Amino acid sequence: MKEEIARVQQAMAEQGYVTDRATATSAYLALTLHKPLLIEGPPGVGKTEVAKVLARVLATDLIRLQCYEGLDVATALYEWNYAKQLLHIKLGEGSGQSVGEREAQIFSEAFLLERPLLRAIRATQTTVLLIDEVDRSDEEFEAFLLEVLSEHQVTIPEIGTIRATNEPCTVLTSNRTRELSEALRRRCLYLWIDYPSLSKEIEIVRAKVPVIDQQLAADVAAFVQAVRRQRLVKTPGVAETIDWARALVVIGANTLDDDVVSETLGCVLKDEADVRQIRREVSDRGASAMVAAGRTAG
Amino acid sequence: MTAAAVDPVTFATQFSRLLRERGIAATPATSIEAVRVLAAVDATDRMDVYLALRTLFVTRRKDLELFDELFEAWWGRRDASHDGTVPSRRGAATNPPVISPTDEPKTATGSTALTRWASSLADVEGEETIPLAAPSVREGAATKDFRLYGGDDLDALAGAIARIVRRLRARRSRRWRSAGHRGRLDPRRIVRLALATGGDPIRLVRRQRKVRRTKLVVACDVSGSMDLYSRFLLQVLYALQHAFARIETFAFSTRLVRITESLSRDTYREALDALAAVPDGGWSGGTKIGESLEALRLGWPRLFDRRTAVIVLSDGWDTGDPEVLSSALREIRRKAGRVIWLNPLLGSPTYRPLTRGMEAALPHVDVFAPAHDLASLERLASYLSF
Repeated sequence: MKEEIARVQQAMAEQGYVTDRATATSAYLALTLHKPLLIEGPPGVGKTEVAKVLARVLATDLIRLQCYEGLDVATALYEWNYAKQLLHIKLGEGSGQSVGEREAQIFSEAFLLERPLLRAIRATQTTVLLIDEVDRSDEEFEAFLLEVLSEHQVTIPEIGTIRATNEPCTVLTSNRTRELSEALRRRCLYLWIDYPSLSKEIEIVRAKVPVIDQQLAADVAAFVQAVRRQRLVKTPGVAETIDWARALVVIGANTLDDDVVSETLGCVLKDEADVRQIRREVSDRGASAMVAAGRTAG
Repeated sequence: MTAAAVDPVTFATQFSRLLRERGIAATPATSIEAVRVLAAVDATDRMDVYLALRTLFVTRRKDLELFDELFEAWWGRRDASHDGTVPSRRGAATNPPVISPTDEPKTATGSTALTRWASSLADVEGEETIPLAAPSVREGAATKDFRLYGGDDLDALAGAIARIVRRLRARRSRRWRSAGHRGRLDPRRIVRLALATGGDPIRLVRRQRKVRRTKLVVACDVSGSMDLYSRFLLQVLYALQHAFARIETFAFSTRLVRITESLSRDTYREALDALAAVPDGGWSGGTKIGESLEALRLGWPRLFDRRTAVIVLSDGWDTGDPEVLSSALREIRRKAGRVIWLNPLLGSPTYRPLTRGMEAALPHVDVFAPAHDLASLERLASYLSF
């Protein structure tokens, strides 16, 4: 293994992110090649976390753009500072300047409000730019993103093109609620993160909830593994496992018995139908049987 | 020094040509980057090379498996993996499809068509093993005929359909239009206008998103001849029902029933249960498309206006009077904005719309399109914007 990749993996582990070689390699390449990294995977497997950890590893700022349907350029890139513009026109009254001159003044960089993308482009040091849940934005916005991602530049009609002095390290995440365009995919490195294996999940729980009893951590992880094999409306991710482990520590549970499970199931399952289904499972088979089932590799 | 023995440039170009031949899009630009990638990692370490090239060449999850296969073959070494993290190929069985298409309409017997559809699906959810046509690794999921889908594919299918349908939904367009008293202030224009009044924003202008709003009326044929597509069609109906705010859904074979409410349940399974419980009131074999559409037109006359798209999902096997079908459809089209006939059989290259029903219907249909795979469903978007 290339030493640098091992170092990336090591550094991410030091920041509390248990990762595998695939993730470390992708992150390393994104940093070396200055290419955006597109991360896909089911919800709750720690896609967003990769960007946050990278920012901590690089000791730099994380600039986050949360995508949603209807996200527009004014929210993502820049907006004019209208109040300041109006004030400026007011103050410049009687200065004898022509309308054209005044217009040129108020549509200059001094009147620009930075939004995440512009902030990342104009940053004085290399930052980590997280474009979260890019699948939620609409196709038109995705097309606009292409310019930013491939050229590291943005165009503002009134000012012109602004180029990045320090290219940001860009991470995009997607839950695959819609298929992203081929053009966007081609410009990105790709990483698929799946649900972790049992041993990795135990490791994650222990790293995130250090005070937890070792056996309980293993049981929690195994139970969630068993739950994931069921046909559910919403399959729990690693985030849910961690939430659950924390909750168990807070209520002082030492073992995972049927009562504890059915009381705290809400931490793992976020859909009423799922809760009912698993609760029935637990009362039929017992929590310990579920844990045992989760322990066997599936 | 297995890889270093080869020149990285040769390595990269040859490998990307191999990928391209097998359908993984590898542009010349990617090949050039492959050289950079190989320089950035330890090119003698199989795992390094594998992970790095995978990160670069693969752009979607479904290509991962094929990439693994090609990489393994290309690297030319059978020794599984150094540290056991190379994902093994998951059961890539390639059984030929077992369900075969039928050309003759089967006669619906026994329980109502809806009940049959809903319950045949419930079986799949249970233990019963049904002949499963495993997708070959390279077969594009988008063009896989729906009748080839087995139980295990259903989850993936449900997701894909929901995704496509969500995109169809009439949503606010990106364009702004200036608006009278409603909507948000348009600061950019206000500032420009204020230039003329010395910085006093005297004229306020507002803007709002343009709305594209389409009403949908869906009528789905649930007769025996459509059974092969029932799983898929129910998924589509369910997804449509949940994506559109203004939609009415009907099912018909010899009679017409409104199933809007049954489909509106929270989960797909509940919807199936509700559909199975829809009162039948004397269904029998055969398909009376014309009479069903006539019942739709007369029973719900106010459904149809210029903003309404009417979707008929049927193979056109009509045992009723073609004249009735023709006139019913003509009347519907006169009032509705668009009539779309989706025929699953149209995906088959040998199919000609020669059934009497289809011939009677065609002149009164704006769009006649296939509906047998995900790709054809994707195209629905273009029919719905009018």
